Amino acid sequence: MSLLNFFKKNMNVFPVYSKTAKQDSRKSERAILVFDNTSEVIQAQRTLEKKGWKLRVMGPPPEIRNGCDLVIEIPLIEELNILRTLQETRNVPIKVVPVSSPLLQPVDIFQVKDYGDYLMVRAANMKITIEKENQLIVNISGGGCPDVPYLAGEMVGKSLTESPLPKDIGHTLCGYALQLAYEEILRQC
Amino acid sequence: MNNAIDARGLSCPQPVLMTIDRMKNQKNGEIIVLVDTETARENVTRAAGNLGWDLVNVQAEEMDFKMTLKKE
Repeated sequence: MSLLNFFKKNMNVFPVYSKTAKQDSRKSERAILVFDNTSEVIQAQRTLEKKGWKLRVMGPPPEIRNGCDLVIEIPLIEELNILRTLQETRNVPIKVVPVSSPLLQPVDIFQVKDYGDYLMVRAANMKITIEKENQLIVNISGGGCPDVPYLAGEMVGKSLTESPLPKDIGHTLCGYALQLAYEEILRQC
Repeated sequence: MNNAIDARGLSCPQPVLMTIDRMKNQKNGEIIVLVDTETARENVTRAAGNLGWDLVNVQAEEMDFKMTLKKE
């Protein structure tokens, strides 16, 4: 048996070299970008995604007591490149925090609730509910922004695939949160 | 009012889901829905309209809304 085959066969005996261990260590090499307000988060997300970076919009960890209700999680190794890109658009975060302890873990902004025949996803202050069987949007609620009734009017009664995208028809932070909820419910289905 | 849907005290989407479930069982006629927020009233009205039900009356009673929905 070659040395390589020996390691492949006995991978579980050497957990430190296993794929899972590698992934876990990679997963921990993250940082969060903290911005003053949500508009800056949205702008930064758009800028960075356009450049091809994979990131996640999350809720701030309990230890972070300043900034807004959303943070952007990035791979730590890309910090300098990402900051350079954000500087070009004059939208720099107020803080970059490496995720180094459980209290610095960003929190999921999504809440998923199963109502039997229906599924609801909440992202920040917006909720979208669909009928599971046909993916028909049965309710949009939350927010308090002036365009929420319009968003609901345009989307309720349509299937997820037929519905216009909140990011295309919304003009407020509620539209942005609803887009996040929409993407998450699509992912859940 | 025995067969009214009492969705007071429930947050969205529950009033809407209760109303839709009733409409699936009761194909036409009249349904009374009680809600206690303006948002729930709007959401139930929208969902009902999408299923072909009309809001024919809303009575505001203190903090509650008594909605009458009809379908021929």
